[in-house]
Order: sequence, then C-alpha cells, then structure tokens
Amino acid sequence: TANMDISSDEADDWFMESLHIYRDLHVFQLEHPTKVIEWTGEKSICVADYSSARNEILELLLPLKLYAGGNKGLCPERDFKLQHGGFCDEPVECLRHIFGKRCVVTSGQYSSKLQVWDIGEGDSDIIKRTGVINPKCPSDKGRKIASGVTDGASVLHGSRINDVQQTELVSGRVLYAVGTDSLDAVSGLQFVNSSTFVVCANNGTLYVGDTRDPRMKHYVLHGSMSGSHWVFALRKDQPHSDPAACTVARLSSFGQVLVSDLRNLCSPVRQAQLNLQQNMATCDFLNVTWAPVLDSCLAVSGFDGKVHIFDTTSWSTVSQTPQPVFVHRGHDLSHEAKTDGTLLVVTTHVWHPWRPRTLLSAASDGSIHVWDWVDKNFEHF
Amino acid sequence: MPDIKVTPLGAGQDVGRSCILVSIGGKNIMLDCGMHMGYNDDRRFPDFSYITQNGRLTDYLDCVIISHFHLDHCGALPYMSEMVGYDGPIYMTHPTKAICPILLEDFRKITVDKKGETNFFTSQMIKDCMKKVVPLNLHQTVQVDDELEIKAYYAGHVLGAAMVQIKVGSESVVYTGDYNMTPDRHLGAAWIDKCRPDILITESTYATTIRDSKRCRERDFLKKVHESIERGGKVLIPVFALGRAQELCILLETFWERMNLKAPIYFSTGLTEKANHYYKLFITWTNQKIRKTFVQRNMFEFKHIKAFDRSYADNPGPMVVFATPGMLHAGQSLQIFKKWAGNEKNMVIMPGYCVQGTVGHKILNGQKKLEMEGRATLEVKLQVEYMSFSAHADAKGIMQLIRMAEPHNILLVHGEAKKMAFLKDKIEQEFNISCYMPANGETTTVTTNPSVPVDISLNLLKREMALGGPLPDPKRPRTMHGTLIMKDNSLRLVSPEQALKELGLSEHQLRFTCRVHLQDPHSDTDTLSRIYSHLKSVLKGYAVQHLPDSTVMVESIVLKVSSSAEEPDLKVVLLSWCFQDEELGSFLSTLLKKGLPSAL
Repeated sequence: TANMDISSDEADDWFMESLHIYRDLHVFQLEHPTKVIEWTGEKSICVADYSSARNEILELLLPLKLYAGGNKGLCPERDFKLQHGGFCDEPVECLRHIFGKRCVVTSGQYSSKLQVWDIGEGDSDIIKRTGVINPKCPSDKGRKIASGVTDGASVLHGSRINDVQQTELVSGRVLYAVGTDSLDAVSGLQFVNSSTFVVCANNGTLYVGDTRDPRMKHYVLHGSMSGSHWVFALRKDQPHSDPAACTVARLSSFGQVLVSDLRNLCSPVRQAQLNLQQNMATCDFLNVTWAPVLDSCLAVSGFDGKVHIFDTTSWSTVSQTPQPVFVHRGHDLSHEAKTDGTLLVVTTHVWHPWRPRTLLSAASDGSIHVWDWVDKNFEHF
Repeated sequence: MPDIKVTPLGAGQDVGRSCILVSIGGKNIMLDCGMHMGYNDDRRFPDFSYITQNGRLTDYLDCVIISHFHLDHCGALPYMSEMVGYDGPIYMTHPTKAICPILLEDFRKITVDKKGETNFFTSQMIKDCMKKVVPLNLHQTVQVDDELEIKAYYAGHVLGAAMVQIKVGSESVVYTGDYNMTPDRHLGAAWIDKCRPDILITESTYATTIRDSKRCRERDFLKKVHESIERGGKVLIPVFALGRAQELCILLETFWERMNLKAPIYFSTGLTEKANHYYKLFITWTNQKIRKTFVQRNMFEFKHIKAFDRSYADNPGPMVVFATPGMLHAGQSLQIFKKWAGNEKNMVIMPGYCVQGTVGHKILNGQKKLEMEGRATLEVKLQVEYMSFSAHADAKGIMQLIRMAEPHNILLVHGEAKKMAFLKDKIEQEFNISCYMPANGETTTVTTNPSVPVDISLNLLKREMALGGPLPDPKRPRTMHGTLIMKDNSLRLVSPEQALKELGLSEHQLRFTCRVHLQDPHSDTDTLSRIYSHLKSVLKGYAVQHLPDSTVMVESIVLKVSSSAEEPDLKVVLLSWCFQDEELGSFLSTLLKKGLPSAL
C-alpha cells in the first residue's frame, strides 16, 4: 500500500534532500521500460520497449513547465504528452533520429534488420514503418546505428567492424562499406562530420574512418582489464576550426575512463578509475555521455540504479579515483514498482541539448526521470 | 439486433463539459450535466435539443447520474432540471450531494453578482434541483425502475467521485467520470470488479498523458513555500475547504517538523468549520484502510498550524495562510490577497482551476494590474504559482481499468479521433475489443449480444444428456429441441410433450404415405430385396434394415412392396414416414420413382 504520510524512511529523505539538490525534478512511470531515449526535436524524445510482447515506440513531448521560462509559475503542465506512437515487432535495441527529418531508425533484438519509421505530422498520431534495411552481409542481431549528418538521409550501422556500412534511407543503396575483416563487435559508432566517423569496439579499440575510403585507422587499447566491455562518447570541441577537434571518452565495465583527443588516440589526455561496481551480468546498459553545454563534464550510467556525473577538468594522465560532482539516486529511491527483486539498473540517459544541467534517465523498472541538478559550487542559477 | 446508443452532447471537439446520453434496453440515461467554463453564453450549457426540440425532459429521460462535484460535470444541472425542466430522479453519491450545492451556489454568485449575468439559475433553483437527488452508496444496486438498475463504484479523484454501472437485463454500461488509478494520499485508487460491461465509457482527455508523480508535485509545492519563507515572504494558499486543504496541511506540518522551521502556518476559521463537515463526510465515504491512516492524525491538533485571525495578516515576517474561498473571488482569501499582493517577496499558490471572472483566473493569466471595487487598481507584484494536484488517470490508467472491468467495447469521449489512433490500436490489439471515439454530438451504436437466461426442465435436460456426446461446454453451443414458454416475466424451456400437457392438448402424430409404382419382373419378396440393396448402397450413412416381416426400414421410414394378381410386374411400393423424417421420405420417394438399377 502507498505510504500515506511522509515518514523518515530513505525515500522520503531523498525527496526532502531533492528540494536543495535539484531545481526541477519530474518522475514518470512508463508502462514498459526503455533502453533508448533519443531527441527528435527541441522538446520531444522517442522511447521504445525492449521487454514486452508488443513493443511500442513512443514520441513524448516534455513537460511544458520546463520551457515556460519566466512564466514558469503560471504553467502547471508537469506531464509528458504522448504525441505519436507505433508498434514494433521486436524489442528495440537501438533507436536513432535521422538528422533533419521526422524519421527514426531502429534495430531489434530478434534480427539484424533495421526498420525505418515515419513519426508523422499533425494529422495522425501513428508512427508508421516505411521501410526495412537488410544488411548486405551476415550480421549479429541488434545492430548499432548512427545518423548521417548530411541532408541526404542515411544511417551508418554495424554489428561487427567488418560489416559496418552506410545506407541511404530512401533508396536502400549502400553508400559505403568498410574494407577491413576485423570481427571485433561494435559497441557504438558516430559521425564526426559529413564523411569522418568513429567506431568503438567492445574491447575498447577505436576505428576512425572516412566514407570516401574503405580503409580505417585503428587504435588498440592497451592496459584494458580482460573481460572489459567498452562504450564511448564523442564531443566536438567548439568553437574550433579543425573539424577533427573532438574529445573521445571511453568507459569500461570495470569503471575505467579514458579521455582522448581524436587527433591523437594513442595516448589518452586524461584517465580515471571510477569507484563503480557493475552489479549486472550484462553490459547492455553501459552508457557514457558528454555534457553538451558544460565543459569537460561527463555522465555515466549502467552500473546500478544511479547516474553519476563527473567533472574531468581536474583529471590527469595518471589514473585516480575522482568523486562525482553529482549522483542522481532517484531511480533507486522512488522505486514505485517494487518488482521481483531483480536489481534496478539505469538503462540509458541523455543530456538536454541546451539546458546546462538537465538530464533525462530511464531505468529497468520503467521509470523515466527529468532532472536539473544543482552544482554545489555555484549556488546561484 | 439489440444495441446500445451513446451520444456525448456538445459540439465539435470542445472538451470541458461532460454530458453523455445513453440509450440501453429502451431506457434513456443522462450521465453528468457539466458546464463549459470557457464560454459566457449558451454554449456553456449542453445542447439538450438532441433529446427533444421543445419542452421538458422528464418524459424522455429515465434518470440522470452525476459522477462528482466538479463544475464541468454538474455545473449545468440546475439549468437542466429547473430551466429546461426535468422532474425525474438525479442520482449521485452522498458526498457529491453535500458538496454540489455549495459549489453551484459559489459559481452562481460569481457569474451573476460579479459578472452581472442574467440567463442563469438562481439560488432557489439550486435548492429545488437538489430536492430531486437520490443519494447512492458504494457497491449498492439501486433499482431505478423494474428494469433499470445502477451501482456506484469508487473512483478516487475527489471526495465522493464515483464510476457508475448501468444495467438493463443482461446489457450494461459503465461510465467512469473522472478517476485515477494511482492511490492518492487521502483518496485511494479507483476500483471495479470484473463486471464485463458491454461498453466502458471513459474520458480520453488524459489518455495521451504520462503523469508526473504525486511526490514531485508535492516537492514543488514545498520548495516554493520554503523559498518564500526563507526570503521573509508570506504565502497565501486559497483553498476550497473540502478536499486538498487537509492534504496540504499534513504535508506542510511534516515538512516544518523535519526542517525545524519556525514561521507560523495558519488555517482560517471558516475552513475549520467546513473541514469538520468534510471530515464527517469523508469518514463515512472512504474505505477502512484509508480511514485508519487518515484518522491517525487529528486534523485539529497540528503542532505547527494554528487558527487564523484576520489581524495576523498585518504581522511582520514570513507566514503561510490557508484561506477560503479557493478562487480568490470573495471573502477572507481575497482580503488577504489585497494586503499581500504589492510585495514581490510574497507568494500566492493556486492549487486548482479558477472560473472566469475571478481574481484567481485573472492572475493565473498573468494579469499584473487588477481593477477592484471603487475603481481602485491593485498591482500584483507577488509571485503567482499555479499548481495542479488533481488526480487523473493517464494512458496507463485506462489500460489498467480495462483490465479490471473487462468490457466488450470501449468508448472514449472528448478526444480527436485522429490524435488517438495509436491508443485505439493499442486497446484493440491488447484486449481484442472495439474502441469507439465519437465526436461530440455524434451517436455511436454498439451492437450487443445479450444472453437470455432460460430455465430448462429437468426432464429435457436429462433427455439431452442421455443422447450422449461431449459434456456441455459454454464455449460450444449445442442445438436442441424444445418448446419455449414465455409467461409473465419467466422463460422456460420444456419438452414438447410437457408443453402440450400443460396446455391441455393432446399430441398428434403426422404420418405421410406415398405409393411409387415400379416395373419389376421379380417376385414381391425379391423386389423388396432389390430395393433394400439399392438403398443400402445409396444411403451409406443411414440405418437401412431388411426386417423379417417383409418390410425395409430406413431410420423410421417403412417400405412395403405389393402387387396385384392381374399385373404381377407392376409393383406398388408403399412408403410411410412421420413428419420428422419428411426430408428423407421425400428423397426416397423421388429416388425410387427413378426405378431400380438393372445391375442389382
């Protein structure tokens, strides 16, 4: 039964504390958990089921209160609005919004195909499937996807390094395929600019490619603990004239973080050993992201039911164990659906594109939070 | 085909007023009678001309049911019953009956006194209207007449809110009104049994939202109050006494205790009296579990909350005051507001919707200068916060309710069909039921498949069972023969013999005889044998017998062969069958007329 009174248990403590440590806090419960949160517009995101029989893809409009600016007090709208919805025939592994279009591409856990969806405009609220991309070679299930960044809608996708390819959406034409036979599993990929892209393998090796050349440069990771699973995040260093000026962060399932300059991937500029133990048997939810507005700030999740934020400015080439500047414990402590005792884990998180300290995070119990944390070092907003 | 018709009254896509007509089993029921708060003219009332073009509604409606006291569900009730005219029963729960007239009177005062309107119901009309109310208890079946019965279920949402089941014979409809599926601090969640109505009618307004948690709303409230107090400001919270006020008080009390805050919190005296009233209503209405937890605190023995005196409003320093009325349209809350509005350190928190014409409505629309009586202007410098605490079901809640009630069909009102195609798909796929989304003013007809219960006589039942075959299974219909006797209001199925006996008639048997002439050079006996062989080969699935008394029998049909001495080759085949075997008998006679095959 629901707690009828605010008593002094841990959840209440956290809620009380939340008055000071968050500016804004919204806690929602989806019907089914998602492992993807993808921005599809300035105020909208897409989420998708990965666990049920009928997997829904939903486009949600963020609570209007967040955007009310000066008139925030007069806006009572705290809820997500479901704008569009569709059904996918398999649990969604990866979901990417296509740059410049009202379109997303998904990969699923049952097959190696990619599905192309039209989110729809004002008239109908259905997310409709408009096409399927079958990779032109044998592939594992659940391919990783990245959106092309040019006007011609395309996706870069792969499950192993040797099957990474770029497909044009409308025609289904393969625009590019890598010319290497490495069988390393892909953990993530992303375009740096219209032709340069980076792929991170599960073992931490980075591949830098150019769609005008099938050969790729690769940078093997040294000193990685055996059994590590790595994920990566890319941040464009702005303003900068050199398009290749990017910072790459790699995170391992043992909590190791390496920060490197894209122009020199052999030696990391910073590194750390985070004090994070992975509870899960699966590395499925491991996630590292760079803050788009704050400098040198990154967020980490997938180890447990929390999101950890670090400021890497003070890190050096010598690995130390830094303290996070903030930890979001909301998923652990506002756990509505007390389930079968399986450990709660944050499945994904994203930063808001322009609000400096706003993040969205989702967890395995179906919860999804929107939170704006207070940096203790800056009391004023 | 039997059907149920549902028409949400109103025009176009406008939301904000609930009034739904249902025709079921020859009965007409009006569900809710709300006022549209956005209009100032006749458009705010539902359009009753759908029911009848002129005159009173009494002859056209069997009853009216009101789900809860919010004005968008009951605001037009006095207009309907007293100005258009309806004298039949109006059903609502006890708390709704107690609270409705207070809200309606408040609303009337604002509309007539403040805004100077004329075509509006009077205080006396409200009283006359309430005299027609028949109160409902939860889970109690009420017979409106011989055939129509209704039952109220707990809806959560606000005190006294109910979902209603309407039943005529074996057809039924459930109307949800407003409800919530996540338990509230003092109201709990809606509940209904697996009543399997033909149609579940529910609002779709919130169907496409995913609600922020109650805790976060409370957090926001506490945060705002705390921020004001910290900077030395005063916080005014205008409330309608019967509802959220108690909840917010408990929230603040616990917070004050925890944070060791010293600023005073006041509860205006008018509120205390009304709260007492509310308390009594509440205790008899809610269930045991909630009663226990709520009752644990004595509402009038708060450590940090004291009774307010209007002189306190001028005291220096921070404070929080709960005062009525809720929309700042008159009385104490407006007085306090006038005193505090000019200081930007102060704050007013509006916990709900405000009717047009009230100060509350104006400041929520961002108005910074207000015209008061005597042409005085009031500058609004204090911080205005609009917080919504009301509990509504969202997309998930609707799915939960459908799972609970297991309707055969679902009907969503107040939604744009195009904007709800996904929800419709979702419902249809998950539950395999039809989802209707009529526009306002549009009638939906849902065909029902009511089962008609009939008493079967023991003899007939035994006879059917003696025939063997699989055991009776509700999923596999079986055809049987019997006589249906409809007498008074009972339906009985008996064997034909018994029916005849009861009617005092004797049974007659109908038997047909037919003669077929055949040319056959054999003896009569041989001809008969040849007929037997022929029939046996043709009628492979049937019981064909050649009996020692020189007859052939096919099922119950008897065949005999005879001839005259003068023409021994001209055989006369006599066929005889009873009425039940008419088809087979006709077939045999036609067959034999064709003659016997020579190969025999």
